[in-house]
Amino acid sequence: MASQRQLKSRIRSVKNTKQITKAMQMVAASKMRRAQDATKATAAYTKTAREILADLAKQGETKNHPLFEKRDVKNRLLIVVASDKGLAGAYNSNVAKQYLRELMVDDQAGIKTKTIAIGRKVTGFVTRLKSAELVGAYEDLPDTLEGHELRPALDTAFKLFQAGDIDAVDMVYTEFVSSVSQVVTTERLLPAGDTDTELEEKAISQAIFEPDAETVLASVVYRLLNAQLFQAYLDGRASEHSMRMLAMKNATDNASDLIDDLTLAMNKARQASITQELAEISGGAEAMK
Amino acid sequence: MKLELVTLAGIKVDADVYEVMLPTAAGPIAVFPGHEPLVSVAVPGAIAVRFKKGDPESELEYYAVSGGVIEVTQSLVRVLVDEADHGDDIVEAESRAALEKALKLKETAKDAVELEKATELIDRHQVRLNVAGLRRRHRR
Repeated sequence: MASQRQLKSRIRSVKNTKQITKAMQMVAASKMRRAQDATKATAAYTKTAREILADLAKQGETKNHPLFEKRDVKNRLLIVVASDKGLAGAYNSNVAKQYLRELMVDDQAGIKTKTIAIGRKVTGFVTRLKSAELVGAYEDLPDTLEGHELRPALDTAFKLFQAGDIDAVDMVYTEFVSSVSQVVTTERLLPAGDTDTELEEKAISQAIFEPDAETVLASVVYRLLNAQLFQAYLDGRASEHSMRMLAMKNATDNASDLIDDLTLAMNKARQASITQELAEISGGAEAMK
Repeated sequence: MKLELVTLAGIKVDADVYEVMLPTAAGPIAVFPGHEPLVSVAVPGAIAVRFKKGDPESELEYYAVSGGVIEVTQSLVRVLVDEADHGDDIVEAESRAALEKALKLKETAKDAVELEKATELIDRHQVRLNVAGLRRRHRR
């Protein structure tokens, strides 16, 4: 059995760890709330953009637009969204797993895959893979986003798509369903137009387009795609924080259990040493008689 | 007529209004109730809102907006922009400092990416300054 002193120092160190995990849990909880609010705020934007786009689609304006062009997929771009920091439970590894699955599917279908990575953890993961071709990496995005931070990534995707280097763009990200449920999903970004289904009836028709439908369409599509990517990123972030919160809660609970066990062990050790001393004293007294 | 000003950071305005002045690619337009359905491109500029008929100029509310899309129907004006700042929230001195910084950035830009970024910043702060100026003129 470990000595009392060893046990004491272990208890102290576990207590320190518990304090840290507890603090991280609380920070993650407040960040999650903020991230959740941001997700909701962007939803209105995405919805409006979709409605306008649905209206344009109804008038047949989207048919000839290059970003709507459906081609046989021979090359695919994956935008993988994960976090900069670890200690968020299985958040990063879940995304990585899904990404590997997508790579495998492409490999079997003979599709070449390019990757844009958002978040340091996933960038590190992709660069270690021999089979992956990384065309962009974005790290250390600020905590408060205004929406234009992901434009460079989107512009890269547009350029590659319009040049014909890639035939489809998919996002791999973690969808924030609720604070206890997050699901890694793959969503199609380009070619655009997979998104507007149930909104068609509400759309306005017979509108005038100024300066012309084409310009309006380009503007709407760009905004919608940016919003979609932004939303995916925000969802990812809300998921990250809620998973970190849960992971840290578990860590705190485990630390509490460990402290209880160690305290019990220490008390036992102390009692054992007292008993032994007593036995020695009474044994000595007996021998003196 | 209802006005919805939707940005990436949420819905900024959702209210009944009488008149909206919007900056479009073809120049500023004013929209009154019963306007012909219209979809247009918004350019960075100032949106002015008159809430009730007969409100004087000093009662107008201004928003500095980035580019976006405008959708007008008979009873609804929907403005979809990346960013919108209420005139009251803009601190003129701050915007001026930011504009100067952006101008300097443009001078020292080394490549196309930096140049574009600087130009975007200049646009943005120019618009904010203009809005702040408009507000001051009418409130005096």
